[in-house]
Amino acid sequence: MRGKAKIEGNKCNTCGFIQHASHLRCLRCKNDTFSRVIASDTCTLLSFTLLKAPPMEFRDQKSYTLGIVEFENGMKALGQINTQDNLKIGMRLKPIYKKICDNLDNNEVYAHVFEPIE
Amino acid sequence: MNKVAIIGVGHTKFGRLKEKNLMDLLCEASLEAIADSNTGDKDFDSVYVGAMSPGVFNHATGVASALVDRISLIPSAADHIKNGPASGGSAIKAGFQAIASGMADLVLVVGGEKMTHITTPGFITSNVATITHPQAERPHGVSLPSFAGLLTRAYLNKYNAKLEWISDIAIKNHKNGALNPNAHFQKTISDFMESAINKGRGKWNSVDEYLKDDKSNPIIADPLRLFHICPISDGAAAVVLCNADIAKNYYDTPILISGVGQATDTHIVHEREDITVLNALRICSDKAYKMAKKGPNDIDVAELHDAFEILEAVESEDIGFFKKGEGARAAHEGQTEIGGKIPINPSGGLKARGHPLGATGVAQVVELAYQLRCEGGKRQVDGANTGITCNFGGFGNNIISILVERMV
Repeated sequence: MRGKAKIEGNKCNTCGFIQHASHLRCLRCKNDTFSRVIASDTCTLLSFTLLKAPPMEFRDQKSYTLGIVEFENGMKALGQINTQDNLKIGMRLKPIYKKICDNLDNNEVYAHVFEPIE
Repeated sequence: MNKVAIIGVGHTKFGRLKEKNLMDLLCEASLEAIADSNTGDKDFDSVYVGAMSPGVFNHATGVASALVDRISLIPSAADHIKNGPASGGSAIKAGFQAIASGMADLVLVVGGEKMTHITTPGFITSNVATITHPQAERPHGVSLPSFAGLLTRAYLNKYNAKLEWISDIAIKNHKNGALNPNAHFQKTISDFMESAINKGRGKWNSVDEYLKDDKSNPIIADPLRLFHICPISDGAAAVVLCNADIAKNYYDTPILISGVGQATDTHIVHEREDITVLNALRICSDKAYKMAKKGPNDIDVAELHDAFEILEAVESEDIGFFKKGEGARAAHEGQTEIGGKIPINPSGGLKARGHPLGATGVAQVVELAYQLRCEGGKRQVDGANTGITCNFGGFGNNIISILVERMV
């Protein structure tokens, strides 16, 4: 299974700050009602690293690249990047959806992964 | 609020200590601190043990209750304080609060960790990574070194800094560690290179060449390499705290804990407005300065949390010693060496002294006590009257600063 990924966030109904779904109250104004927003199809690379000492869950991989990106609405996300080559801060990427590992219970883990735009 | 003094310190050797278990280390540091404090067989009101993961690393829970039994401090109160790699700092804060509030007059704080017996690849990385966010970050394969790699690249890019300047911090910390008899690595990086040459592992013409070689200094989380990252260590450190009004009954030159601050930041590291800013450190050091009625210019020596060498650069800015973006350059220029404008990590820091997680926050304060008592030996900072620490939990999302000064 591999496809286009939609990155979702929660927009605070009071102050408009966009944050991850895990916060039950807005990090800026403490309000607790949100609307779901879908991030833009493309994003900008803010930083990246090639990790050569992965945690146990990624025991089958010698290395992978992680990046932090920012979408047009200001929302940020972290994920793997599907290449180690020709990466540069400020370049444009798009999220795709794919399997990234088998976890320690041997279940397949799927997540968004970023891919450079040709 | 009662004033709180340090009247005794203890510090085991840090490193790969095969023959000692966690409880041996906690006892050794505690008994050394108690002996140093001249409190003899006095009863303690409270004991705080800072350790991150004894349940996982050592199949041991209830370590504080076990310690008071082993070293005969029953019926003292005893608590195990956990705050990741800042467990030691949190334990000292708990001891400080107990005395400041009037609930206790005599307190033992000990921090320790035993880790080097764990040989499963990735086990410690995975366990430490459990402090990261379970939905937004951990499933993607983050580890603390990967956050440090992301921070380093963003910092170098934003402030036009050089990776070599970050390496200079490791060179300086190993140089200091070589002068610390308790350090995990009592060797300069040049000593490491010479030893590798003598063993026929390669040939390098300079430390710079040695540090840029993928074989001698492999990439871990690029651009960070092995020598930019602290080791996994065993060890413990302890302090005896006392109500300052009675401190001189026990010790001629007590050290005053005059400021303590703690603050948190986002659990999701990438949600921060700027990954190169440690907002929790700005806030907690400001609290410590305000409590002590001091500022960054009053500090003579600092022990910062260089689990990754980039952190020492960033922390030296957010704790107020240098303008934002100038910490790495200042280290490169020698301003943070012993004898420089503001000596940082005369102990060797986490890089060379080692990083037994729960021990670190206590070891930082013990080093400042040595410095303020003029017991720093070959690494003594001249005129050290006031010092500050940064003990960094999570990836900068829970930080403690402790400010100490000589008691007049």
